[in-house]
Amino acid sequence: MNKLLACCFLLASGLPVRSAGIAIPIESYKLKNGLRVVLSKDNAVPVVTVYMIYDVGSRAEEKGRTGFAHLFEHMMFEGSANAPKGVHFATVESNGGTLNGSTHPDFTDYFEVLPSNKLATALWLESDRMRSLSINDANLKNQKEAVKQERRLTFDNEAYNTAIVDVWPTLMFRNWQSSHSLIGSYEDLEASSVADVSKFFKTYYAPDNAALVIVGDIQIPDAKKLVETYFADIPSQPLPKHPDLAEPPGFQAIKKVQKDPLARVPGVIVGYPGPRRRSPDYYALYMVDAILTAGDSARIRQDLVKGKQSVIQYQADLGWPFAGSLDYRDPEPYAMFLLHNPNFTGDQIVEQVQEEIAKLQSAPIDAKDLERVRTQVRSLVIQGLQSSLARARALAQYELADGNPELINTELDRAMAVTPAEIQAAAKKYLTADKRVVLEIVPAPAAPSDAAGKKGDQ
Amino acid sequence: MPPRLFALCALAAAGLAAQTVDRTKAPETPAIPDYKLAPVYDTKLPNGLGVVLVEDSRFPLVTARLNFQAGSKFDPKDAPGLAEAVATLLTEGTKTRTARQLSEQTDAIGGSLAGAAGADALTVSGNALSENLARLLELVADVAINATFPQDEVDLYKQNRIQNLLAERAEPSFLAGEKFAEVVYGSSPYAHIAPTEEAIRKLDRTALNGFRDTWLAPNNASLLLIGRLPARADLMKTIAQQFGSWQQKQVPAAPKVEPPAPRRQIVLVDRPGSVQADIHVGRLAPTRVSAEFFPLMVGNNILGGGANSRMFKNIREKEGFAYDAHSEYNTQRDASTFAAVTEVRNEVVEPAMKAVLAELDQMASTQVPAAELTNIKNYMAGGYLLRLETQNGLANQLNNMNTLGLPKNYLETYTAHVRSVEPDQVLAAAKKYMAPGQAAVVVVGDASKIGDALKKFGDVTIEKAK
Repeated sequence: MNKLLACCFLLASGLPVRSAGIAIPIESYKLKNGLRVVLSKDNAVPVVTVYMIYDVGSRAEEKGRTGFAHLFEHMMFEGSANAPKGVHFATVESNGGTLNGSTHPDFTDYFEVLPSNKLATALWLESDRMRSLSINDANLKNQKEAVKQERRLTFDNEAYNTAIVDVWPTLMFRNWQSSHSLIGSYEDLEASSVADVSKFFKTYYAPDNAALVIVGDIQIPDAKKLVETYFADIPSQPLPKHPDLAEPPGFQAIKKVQKDPLARVPGVIVGYPGPRRRSPDYYALYMVDAILTAGDSARIRQDLVKGKQSVIQYQADLGWPFAGSLDYRDPEPYAMFLLHNPNFTGDQIVEQVQEEIAKLQSAPIDAKDLERVRTQVRSLVIQGLQSSLARARALAQYELADGNPELINTELDRAMAVTPAEIQAAAKKYLTADKRVVLEIVPAPAAPSDAAGKKGDQ
Repeated sequence: MPPRLFALCALAAAGLAAQTVDRTKAPETPAIPDYKLAPVYDTKLPNGLGVVLVEDSRFPLVTARLNFQAGSKFDPKDAPGLAEAVATLLTEGTKTRTARQLSEQTDAIGGSLAGAAGADALTVSGNALSENLARLLELVADVAINATFPQDEVDLYKQNRIQNLLAERAEPSFLAGEKFAEVVYGSSPYAHIAPTEEAIRKLDRTALNGFRDTWLAPNNASLLLIGRLPARADLMKTIAQQFGSWQQKQVPAAPKVEPPAPRRQIVLVDRPGSVQADIHVGRLAPTRVSAEFFPLMVGNNILGGGANSRMFKNIREKEGFAYDAHSEYNTQRDASTFAAVTEVRNEVVEPAMKAVLAELDQMASTQVPAAELTNIKNYMAGGYLLRLETQNGLANQLNNMNTLGLPKNYLETYTAHVRSVEPDQVLAAAKKYMAPGQAAVVVVGDASKIGDALKKFGDVTIEKAK
């Protein structure tokens, strides 16, 4: 149920919205205990999303505790003082709703989508676990097993995922906070104690380290009253220190080849250290990504999938694989993952990608081409805001990362304003071979079956 | 943390008195709100093309579906994957547009355009910014009527589809779904969910043209438009301009689906090195127009429809055997399958199998308690609302109704149908379709690790993974 890589496979999904025809109404304020609240009313369909975001993710983990943020996220579904184990799921589902939680590099989110008559129910559940989570040995043991099983299912047993989650970060980053495995090792998961869970809860799961976003069929005064009722008396905590994510100087381009017994088709990941979030270069690279990979007329598709017939499938994003442009925080890469025709080598694919980038570096993009890409981006962004959950997620990201949920209505303008010269300059500055990190994933013959099991708990 | 830019409303909020509240139980809430579907305008062009229009003006977007009764069920026996190939290649070139022009013109309207084939239907899906609706319709009509399947695009499709098929076959869940369909549907047209490599290699323009000319006719199709639409008369005029001259033709009867009688069999698809076993236990089940549909769908959700279901609570949460434990009732126009599905680690295959069979037995032998039934009904009724939030969500629902031949009032009466299901109806449906006596068992995993455990449940046929 809970997922680690929620954003992993969305292509160019980020950057909500804009002046052209859309104005998401926003009311935001802060409770006395520091909880940030963002409300957005839309009475078209009787559905409401309650979205709780905490300002802590896998990059805050300590050595010896890889995977802990995700393990903790599982603990949030193990019950609280007034909603014991099972009640959260049962209550939401028996009212026709859906719920989930997911752990990301820099935040953790929890949401309920329900028929709108159940707004109070969702607030009751979210506030109860923020106030009084049930932390005990039995729950921890149970969720260690669930997480280990999730690792087996989603990573150890799936082609490419081990390379993506365990190997790729070690090439892209040198700061341990970013380079360690976010799903964690079996040893570290096993070593986690109830004391670790309690400390993490107290440190990070306080109202002043969180934001609550409600989107959908609500009346603002009623919603405010309910938020006050359920959350106002949860005590704040000293704001936690955030991890130092700075990469040490002396970056070097690197290439590694990884064998994958589960893969049948070769793949290659190409990445480059990216710019700061919301800097001018960030918007320029966002448009570079759209030119290369968004829509059927994208250059990777037209020139490599169709022209050279070398690439079969691809995905790319600012922040790939664990983040997207919306939840991109520094430092993050711009990266692309390509499955390719085995008649080509990984080196050839990398060269072909670099040639596409070289076209953007050598001359400004044609005005007509850029206009088409802008229209495509505008449409993708608007489409991405149709569900109350998607709007809530975007509002939460802007609140947490930028302190300004209103950006949902203006960010697209920044992307639309990027000029051909800026695109050319950003491609030249960031996407060069001497700043390139490459991971080739090569299908290997199936290992003898006893070697495929992972150490630790068999 | 970046500095916060505002705290404008903090004072106002602080002024609201917190109400005292009893936190020990879930709050009292009002009744589930009513939702009425936007009016659906339903008509036909003189050439037989069905037209369905639904206004949704929340966002400046339009969504289109052009649905043909021409899914993989219509694949010739020796050409599995033909419908899918036709669907994919429709957008790769027409009499007046190259593939690249189609892509560029689609992106230029902020749109997407793609064909896909399911078991029953082939659907062309498109969307665009609403200001570009006329151009979207022009593109949809062009690919549906004038596709030419250029040789170089066919060659590329074949090459890439073979690679994709290899990637799909690397997934245990794909292998399990494929084998389960084969086992349940026997030699009937629903038995294949994917092409074979051999069939892809043999694919040519003659076969593609033949399929297109046989099945893609206006009188075998329905056009659905949802979004911020222009005035009705103007829109109908645009539709007639694009689709009106499309010639009606005689369409052959759809192939018959006559699956074999269900019987107990255990098939193990060997996947050396697998650390998991993917288990399907199930059988043939009734279609959506059957009176047994709603009782069995309610039963399916009780057994394995989400985190409140028995399989999730017992097999995942209580026993910890699996991360995923659920059940599926996959309905198609002429036949359906029901299956309990779980993916477990090798060491617990035997107890997990026992647990799955016990859950199925329980469903088939004991009436569902009233509270559990009410919960599941609310789950289904609320889930229905949630699916209608986006244009794609609504379009998929309406398109699916067309694919499956459901009555026009299906969506509007869905909730009432769910609420009317009685416990004895669930029991009767479960006795017939969930009792494991005649259920087929399909497992994908490492035979050297799990073969012995499976043999405790009967004779096991071991097959190699394709």
